[in-house]
Amino acid sequence: MDGVSYQRFPRVKIRELKDDFAKFELRDTDASIANALRRVMIAEVPTVAIDLVEIEVNSSVLNDEFIAHRLGLIPLTSGRAMSMRFSRDCDACDGDGQCDYCSVEFHLRAKCINDQTLDVTSKDLISADPSVVPVDFSDSSGFDNSENRGIIIVKLRRGQELHLRAIARKGIGKDHAKWSPAATVTFMYEPDIYINEEMMERLSLEQKRSIVDSSPTRVFDVDEKTGQFVVVDAEAYTYDDEVLKKCESMNLPGLIEIRPKEDSFIFTVETTGAVKASQLVLNAIDILKQKLDAVRLSDDTVEADDQFGELGAHMRGG
Amino acid sequence: MNAPDRYERFVVPEGVKKVSYERDTKIINAASFTVEREDHTIGNILRMQLHRDPDVFFAGYKLPHPLQYKIIVRIHTTSQSSPMQAYNQAINDLDKELDHLKNAFEVELARFPGGSTGY
Repeated sequence: MDGVSYQRFPRVKIRELKDDFAKFELRDTDASIANALRRVMIAEVPTVAIDLVEIEVNSSVLNDEFIAHRLGLIPLTSGRAMSMRFSRDCDACDGDGQCDYCSVEFHLRAKCINDQTLDVTSKDLISADPSVVPVDFSDSSGFDNSENRGIIIVKLRRGQELHLRAIARKGIGKDHAKWSPAATVTFMYEPDIYINEEMMERLSLEQKRSIVDSSPTRVFDVDEKTGQFVVVDAEAYTYDDEVLKKCESMNLPGLIEIRPKEDSFIFTVETTGAVKASQLVLNAIDILKQKLDAVRLSDDTVEADDQFGELGAHMRGG
Repeated sequence: MNAPDRYERFVVPEGVKKVSYERDTKIINAASFTVEREDHTIGNILRMQLHRDPDVFFAGYKLPHPLQYKIIVRIHTTSQSSPMQAYNQAINDLDKELDHLKNAFEVELARFPGGSTGY
């Protein structure tokens, strides 16, 4: 029995890669794996986020819990998260969540002393650990917008003050969305578009144009010079069936056929900046492996069944 | 006020087994596996992997209730195999597939300038 394997060997091709964005092709596997990866990226890859806030002074217009909530939603660089402990199973601090293995401390102190409104931003959060800091979005957009001020937490007017201590902890998106490293993760089936060239040749330019225009996204076009009907961007197709309906209505069924390739996916991954997009994918694979490992049968279950199995074999064998 | 703790969704309570196995009383080579604190993520990949095994007659999973954080995987096999064997095989194959996938992704990543990871 050993030696048999029904394993697949998926292939990957990365198309585009930036710090917080990735686009790649995943082939030779099925939708269950693609969807499991997507689900894990959104809800089960850990990050670090502010989870406990002790407010010492708050004379701003926002109440304490409002500010605590806003602090929680600030993405923190979480390269360390995979090797950190969840504070609920940290032995070093009895789950208080106050030790270096499972938490990072932040301080914020701001006071407005003049008539100019003071913006308190994520840049004012002082971290005790240089590897866990609020995400810096400064040059991700390419152009430099004079001064990068971070994420605004609250605005203070003259005389108002905010002074607090915050504890950031490791967590997952399933617990609270603030821990999700993913902004969006999507996948689509790669479309396979077939055009019946023989039928197409018999159509007039107007007819071809009307088919091109029937698609809500620009999937097809007619070549200016040759008058050829061509696919310009197969992946722009949203499986809306509009072109197929158009062909049907023109009494040309089978002119265009589009079917999803069921073992081929195009993924887009966008992150909050807490981890790099490429790292998010790798972490998701690791987490999924850990989850599979956790659902293996324990030895005592197998033993209990072996005894029962012998009995069953006796009964069956007579 | 009386809302259950959020971690109830993914932390297996003390004294509860992660996976329990129950043989079918009427059908030979059929069994149910109850997996605590798992959902469609694991359920669906296991089911689809089990379908690749020609010795598996039936494989399905259900999430009985959205507030009961467990899934039930049911497997019926030929006499050449057993539900437990098929279940272990499926996990091993998925594990190897993910190893392969991770490796393939890392190879691709190395092709990209600035494709290094981590902070």
